[in-house]
Amino acid sequence: MSGGAQGATLMPAWDSDTGAVAVLAVLAGDEAYGFPLSAVREILAPPPLTEVPRAPSHFLGVIAVRGQIITVIDLPKMLHLEAEQTDPYGRILLVDNGEELIGVAVDRVIQVYRMEPNQIEYASAMSAELSDYVVGVGRVPSGSSADAEDMLILIDPVSLLGGVQ
Amino acid sequence: MSDPRDNVQQEFLSEAQELVEALSRDLLLLDEAHHRNERIDPALVNEIFRSVHTLKGIAGMFGYKHVGVVAHALEDLLDDLRLGRTLVEPHLLDVLFDSVERFQQLLALEDPQSPEEEAGVQEYIAAIRAIGTESAKEEGDPLDQYAIEPAVLSVLTEYEEHRLRACIRQGLRLYRLRAAFDLTAIDDSIETLRAVASDDAEIITYLPSMEGGNEDTIELVVLLASGAPKEQLEAHFEGRYGTIEAIEERTHLPTLPPRPTSIPSTGASMETQAEEDSGQASLQSVANSVRVDIRKLDHLMNVVGELALVRSAVNRIVDQFKGDATYRQSLTDLDRIGRGFERQLAELRTGILDVRMVPLGQVFNKLARIVRQAAREHDKQVRLVVTGANTEVDKLIVEKLTDPLMHLVRNAIDHGIEPGDARIRAAKPAEGTLALNAYHKGSNVVIEVEDDGGGMNALQLQEAAVSRGLLNADAGLELSRQEMLDLVFLPGLSTRSEVTDLSGRGVGMDVVKTNILRMGGVISIESEQGSGTKITVTLPITLAIIRALIVTVASRTFALPITVVREAIPYIPEEVRTIEGREVITLRGETLAICDLARLFGFRGSSREEGRFVVVGSMGNRELGFVVDGLVGQDDVIIKALGKSLASVRGFAGATDLGDRKVALVLDAPALFTEHFDGPEAGWAMETHP
Repeated sequence: MSGGAQGATLMPAWDSDTGAVAVLAVLAGDEAYGFPLSAVREILAPPPLTEVPRAPSHFLGVIAVRGQIITVIDLPKMLHLEAEQTDPYGRILLVDNGEELIGVAVDRVIQVYRMEPNQIEYASAMSAELSDYVVGVGRVPSGSSADAEDMLILIDPVSLLGGVQ
Repeated sequence: MSDPRDNVQQEFLSEAQELVEALSRDLLLLDEAHHRNERIDPALVNEIFRSVHTLKGIAGMFGYKHVGVVAHALEDLLDDLRLGRTLVEPHLLDVLFDSVERFQQLLALEDPQSPEEEAGVQEYIAAIRAIGTESAKEEGDPLDQYAIEPAVLSVLTEYEEHRLRACIRQGLRLYRLRAAFDLTAIDDSIETLRAVASDDAEIITYLPSMEGGNEDTIELVVLLASGAPKEQLEAHFEGRYGTIEAIEERTHLPTLPPRPTSIPSTGASMETQAEEDSGQASLQSVANSVRVDIRKLDHLMNVVGELALVRSAVNRIVDQFKGDATYRQSLTDLDRIGRGFERQLAELRTGILDVRMVPLGQVFNKLARIVRQAAREHDKQVRLVVTGANTEVDKLIVEKLTDPLMHLVRNAIDHGIEPGDARIRAAKPAEGTLALNAYHKGSNVVIEVEDDGGGMNALQLQEAAVSRGLLNADAGLELSRQEMLDLVFLPGLSTRSEVTDLSGRGVGMDVVKTNILRMGGVISIESEQGSGTKITVTLPITLAIIRALIVTVASRTFALPITVVREAIPYIPEEVRTIEGREVITLRGETLAICDLARLFGFRGSSREEGRFVVVGSMGNRELGFVVDGLVGQDDVIIKALGKSLASVRGFAGATDLGDRKVALVLDAPALFTEHFDGPEAGWAMETHP
C-alpha cells in the first residue's frame, strides 16, 4: 500500500501547535468535511461502483483503480448522520488511512484551505461517537458572506475504517 | 558479422555455432563407434538429437528459415534413429556429416532467408527424407524372449521400449535389481547408480516396488541389460544396493503386486523433454532445467488450495473438542502440528509461485527481433541496449506482456528515433539508442522502454485532444505538461493516417494501457522534446489467476472459480422441494441442495423466475447448486484482494477487474459451502452493523 509510513505521520499534522495545515474541503450530504490534503492521494470521477452484498450499509461498494480494488464508503452514514447523500456521487477521494486507500464518495470538492491551529476546535469537546473519526471542527471564512464562517468536520484519515472491524 | 546493431543476433550465432560444433564432435564419435562395430551409446544419439532440436528452435526464433527446415528434417531422422526405426549405416552417416557443412554455410549467409539457397536446401532435405525407416527390419519381437510382466511393459516409454529391444538384440541379458533408496536423496542416489552401472550395464528403467521400503526409503525395481556375467554384476551391485536376479527367458515369474502406474519413471524425463516440441527454445542452456506445462503448476496450486480446505475442516473438528479437559494435551499438540502444517503449506505455495517465474529475457529476445525489423523497414540505425534480462516475473505476465511491449518498441522506432540525417542535424549520433531496462522494485517489476529520439510534443497532443472533442478547450488550457503527455493514452486520440502530426505516439497507446492495467500494472510516460521518451511499466511480480465461470445474479456479475463447478443445468422452480427447511432439487436421482444467491445476498425483487440456472458446485464429497440468473461464460480472471476494511464480509474471495473498469466479486466457494451446510454459526456470523 502506498505510504503506510506517511499515514502514520498524519496525526501530528493536525495536532501541531504551530504551522498551518492544508485541508481539502468537500461537500457530502448537507455537511462540509475537511481532509488533511497530505492524506488525499487522488480525486476521481466515479468509476462504475460494484456493491458488496452483506457489507455494512456505509460501504457503498468497490471500484477498480489502476487494477487495485478500492473500498468506497459513504461518509455521512459512517458518521451516523442522517443526511442523505446524492447519488450519483460527484467525486471519489482516495484517502490513505495508513493501511489502505479508501474511496470516500462526496458530492463535490469545495477548495483547499490553509488552516491555522486556532481555527480548529478539537473533538474532545464533542460527542464520543463522532470522535472516533473526527478530529474536530474547523472554521473557515464563508464563501457567501465576508463576515460569516463555515464549519468543516475534520476527518482523521488514520482512524477512517481502521476502527471498523 | 560486424553488425553492432544486434547483440542478440550475435548471441544466436555464437550459440548456433556451438551447437554445430558439438554436433560435429558427436557425429565423429558415432562414426568411430560404427567403424569399430562397437555398441552405439544411446546417450550419444540423444545428445545429437538434442543439439539439432535446440538448433531448430532458436533458428526459428531468429528467422534463419533454411537452418530451421534442415534441422527439422534432421530431427525427424535422428528421432527414428534413437527409437530404433532406423539403423546406423554409412550412407546415413554421410548425410549427417553433410549437415555440419550445410549449417555452417547457412549460418554465414548475409540474408538468412535468401531464396537462392532454397533449391540446395530442398535437395538436401530430400536426401534426408530418402533414408526413411526401411533400413530397420523387425525380426519378431525380441521382447517375447523374456517373461517381462505386462504391467512393466505398459509403463515403458517408447524410447525405453526401444532400448530394451535393442539390448536384447545385441544379445545382452536382462536383470532385475531391487534396491532401497533413501527418499530424501533419491535423485542423487539414482545418478550414482547410473554412474556405477554405466561400465557394464545399461539401465532401461526403474519402477517403484510396493514391497520393501519403509517411511524413509523406497524400494525400486531397476531393469538392467548387460553382457557381463551375473557374478560380475553381483559383485558390482550387491552389498551396495540390493539383490540382483536374472530375468528368466520364456518362463513365467510370479506376478509382482500391482504398482502405482501414476508414478512416472524419472529416467525418462530428459527424453520427454527432447520429444516435446514446444516450438521455441531459449538461448539458455537447458542442462539443469525442465520445461513444465504451466497447467501442471496451476494444478499444483489448486491442490494447495484443497489442502488449505482440509486444514480448515480439521480445525472445525478440533473446535468441537475445545473446552473438554480430557483432550487438552492432545489439542495443544494438534494445534502445534497444525501451525507447522500451515507454515509448510505456505512454503509450498511460495515454491510453486517461484517455479512459475521466468526471466524477462524471453520477451526481450523477441523484442530484439522487432527492433531489428523495424529499424530495417525505416532505414534507421538503432542500437538496442538491454539491462536486467534475468529479472524474473510470473510466466503468465511474461506472456501477456509481449504484445504491449512490442507495441512500445515499435512506436519508439517508427516514430521516436529520427532518421540518421535528422539526428546529425540535431547534434546527436546518427545511431539511435533504444534501451530496455528491467528491475525489481519491492514486489513489483519495472520495465522501461527508453529512446533518445525526438520526444513528444505535449502541446500538439493537447491540440489534437481538443480538436477531436476528447477535451474541452478550457480544460485543455489548465493541463500541466505531464497531463498533456498522458493524453496519449486516451482512446481515439490519433489515427494511423495522422500519426506523424502527433510525433506519432498515439496509435494503440490506449490499448497498451488497458492491457497493462488489466494485469494490475501501471504505465507512465516521460518525454522531453528533442531528447527522447521513456515509458515505464510497473507490474506485480505474480498474479493470482484463476479460471472462473462468470454468472449474473439480479443484474450483478459474479465470478465462481471453475475448479468447484461441475455443471450448470436449467432451474425449474416447480421441481424445488423443501427438506428440513432447505430447498433441494433432484438431479439424476440424487438429492441436491440448492442455494439461491439472490436471496442469500439479499437482492430483493429483481430476480426473475424464468430462464435461471443451477450451477452445480462440488467440494470434497459435498455438492451444492447455486441458483443464478444467467451464465456469461468462462474467463481467466486475476483475483485481487478486497481491502482490509471489507475483511469481515464473508462469502467473497476477492474481486476481479473484468475490463471497462467493471469489477466483479469472486465468490468464496468454500465459505459458501460451509455456510450452507454447517450454518453461519459454524464458521462465522454475518456482520450486524447498523
